[in-house]
Amino acid sequence: MIVMIVLATLVVFLIATQVPADPILAQLGDMQAADEELVAAYRARWGLDLPIWQQYWIFLSGLVQGDFGVSISSQRPVLADIAQYAPATIELSTVAFLLSVLVGVPLGVLAAVRRDSWIDHLARLLSLIGVSAPTFWLAFIFLALFYGGLQIAPGPGRLDVIYLPPPTVTGLYLVDSALAGQWDVFRNAAAHLVLPSIVLAATTLGLITRTTRAAMLEALHQDYVRVARAKGLKERTIVVRHALRNALIPVVTLGGLAYAVLLSGTVLTETIFSWPGLGRYTFRSAVTLDFPAIMGITFIVAVVYLVINLIVDLSYALLDPRAARK
Amino acid sequence: MKAVKAMAGRWSAGIWQGALAVLLLAALGAGPADAQDKQVLVLGVDISDSRNFDPARMSDYSSPITNAAVYDRLLNQAPGKYEEVEPSLATEWERLDDGSRIRFKLRDDVKFWDGTPMTAEDVKFSFDRLLNVKDQPAVYASNLAGTEVVDEHTVDLLVKDPNVPIMINLAAPAFAIYSKAMTEANGGVSGPDAETQDTATQWINQNSAGSGPYHMVQWERNAQIVMQKNPYYWGGEVPFERVVIRHIGDSAAQLLALENGDIDAAFNLTTEQLATLEGNEEININSGLSLDYVYMALTTSAELNEGLAKLENRLAFAHSIDYDGIIEHLMGGNAVRPVNFLPIGVGGSTEELTEKIGYREDLDKAKELLEQAGNPDGFAFDLSYANAAIVGTSYQLLAQKIQSDAARVGIQVNLDPIDQVNLRTQYTGGHSQSVITFWNPPSPEPDLWAAASIERVAKRVRWEPSEEIKQTVKAAAAEQDPATRNELYTEYTQMLQDMGTYILLFQPIYRIATRNSIEDFELTAAGWQVEMAKIKPAS
Repeated sequence: MIVMIVLATLVVFLIATQVPADPILAQLGDMQAADEELVAAYRARWGLDLPIWQQYWIFLSGLVQGDFGVSISSQRPVLADIAQYAPATIELSTVAFLLSVLVGVPLGVLAAVRRDSWIDHLARLLSLIGVSAPTFWLAFIFLALFYGGLQIAPGPGRLDVIYLPPPTVTGLYLVDSALAGQWDVFRNAAAHLVLPSIVLAATTLGLITRTTRAAMLEALHQDYVRVARAKGLKERTIVVRHALRNALIPVVTLGGLAYAVLLSGTVLTETIFSWPGLGRYTFRSAVTLDFPAIMGITFIVAVVYLVINLIVDLSYALLDPRAARK
Repeated sequence: MKAVKAMAGRWSAGIWQGALAVLLLAALGAGPADAQDKQVLVLGVDISDSRNFDPARMSDYSSPITNAAVYDRLLNQAPGKYEEVEPSLATEWERLDDGSRIRFKLRDDVKFWDGTPMTAEDVKFSFDRLLNVKDQPAVYASNLAGTEVVDEHTVDLLVKDPNVPIMINLAAPAFAIYSKAMTEANGGVSGPDAETQDTATQWINQNSAGSGPYHMVQWERNAQIVMQKNPYYWGGEVPFERVVIRHIGDSAAQLLALENGDIDAAFNLTTEQLATLEGNEEININSGLSLDYVYMALTTSAELNEGLAKLENRLAFAHSIDYDGIIEHLMGGNAVRPVNFLPIGVGGSTEELTEKIGYREDLDKAKELLEQAGNPDGFAFDLSYANAAIVGTSYQLLAQKIQSDAARVGIQVNLDPIDQVNLRTQYTGGHSQSVITFWNPPSPEPDLWAAASIERVAKRVRWEPSEEIKQTVKAAAAEQDPATRNELYTEYTQMLQDMGTYILLFQPIYRIATRNSIEDFELTAAGWQVEMAKIKPAS
């Protein structure tokens, strides 16, 4: 696992350093960029005057001590930046993920159980829209319709202007406001989550629904389902305990990946909803070639993927006793 | 099978009930925005570029909006009057010792937001820290040798070269005056070791330490800036209890927020979006000429492009562009065009002067020039520009327009869109055949443009300026009489025109839409975009 992470950072590092652009020039004003002393001081401060292998070594040795370096752009420790932006993204992605699982799985099951009924068609339509509609388009249409037109949803941002963020414990506004007992802030934060999380959930919701439906259809035609039915078990028990449990394996694999994608790929949704999250930070770091920030994010994303994969692997054991025995 | 269906029926009922409950919950919380209390001014701005608010370190486009509201400078500049300075914290000033010492008398009634009085010590501290922290704004103070306290309300600035202008720079955001006591208490250092020892920036970013009408109480990166009124403000009663600068990066979302009344002003709307607001009685559109501009730079190096290396070819290209069409159609008429490197509003640059000596669309002349250059069938070159937009118009569109304009006389422009950092690296290094790019001044001092055009920008197009033009720029900078100075700048401008290395495309008029809930919203091009202290709730 550690080897995987180091490899991931190495690849990103090599690509980033080979771009024929100077990260220092991205940070300095026009007049400053012509001031050789200032340029040299900036270069030396971030070790950009050192050979590439040495730069990478500095990054790795810092990493071992939990030091991600200092961002060239914000001039703050990268870890502090990530810690600041991550909660907004985690909150949004988690709500979106829960939404896609809680709606997607039951919808997929229903679509399979009542194949070719109206609910199956509806599920297919929803997942088709979710998978194929571009995120930025969906985001904007939602904003224009529910915020601009109908005025039933709040605008961009995590909170209305009249509310101040709750005292920071986790950085997740829902959790922090609940802990502080500020229920008006909680309600406002929840309201602000509705549109972006639906937009973000659309793609994963579509995928989860389709996968669940396909897996359920296959499971429902297995011999053990016929046996269960022959035994006279209740249909509910058959669907939930026999078919669904088996059908869940591909869904869990997909769900884990989907959550990782949500955590690392929210740039467009964050932009349109002015969500101060990691996606925007990643994007800005990339376009300004902020090496320490890019490397820090790469590391975090690699860890997130690996951890989620691990959880997915472990959960197979719960769903499928054969996997546990192996 | 019947059982299955029945089961599914009950199931689906459960799901729909659940979904309904979720939606209801959402709708309950998601009522329309609460009525705005007019104690609070809310501005919608793209502040994603803001990296810090420390006057000694900041270098971004949007942060001066906040800094001008929380800090005062010794001098100020009124909107539109960029050739002169007016008193602010300093009431009067005089030059001593052949001009190398400038003595400022300070107001004696100024207090910082914590209630402590502002004195000459604070001025010295602020300027020493600016010089010794040695971050980006220090470059603007390169002519400043030091600061001496004369008495509690008198301070002397020592300048290295009295002929290099400094007064207009003193009105720029980098020269903000802040409290020595507050800054030092939070890690601020102004001595020679400030470069490594100063740690005040993180505190300044969240709190500010100035005497302006407001003071910062919170900055949440990429989310919002909150300012509270300064109860001790020397300039009179402050109109709002609180100012919130709300980050809304997407211009369409800004438009919606403005229409819904969630923000009082939208800073980043495109021409098309502003057009949809015309006739809306609740919205005012405030405009102000910027000092920014979009220009093209053409190389003079035969190594990079043999065609462009010839003067006649560059001039031929300059005469092939439909300048009016760019302003009318791409900018919706919301722009003007200066002659060359000095924008309209400074150094005697006016629209009339552009009429007189600016390049104009003249295809016959362009063809004639091409013939003189020995390229009657034209020539080809690469045009680099960023994948970005300026005032809602993409460089791509602009480049395409120029490409089709130049094609009329046989000049083939090959489009080369690249990312911003890459463009910057290539252009600054002098490796671009030609570019379209943007100029945003740190302060409205004409010498900053003029010197740049014959020094660092000249290097980028590999042009070695003549002694004559260098002397003219130097003389203009030292000249105290405005009329004579402007004549010298006009001479300099004509010399640039004869070189054909820079082609000015347009200088945008910035437009900010506000709701009629507020008034006295005045734009400025002096660097901080809007006169925040003056904005009031509508009466």
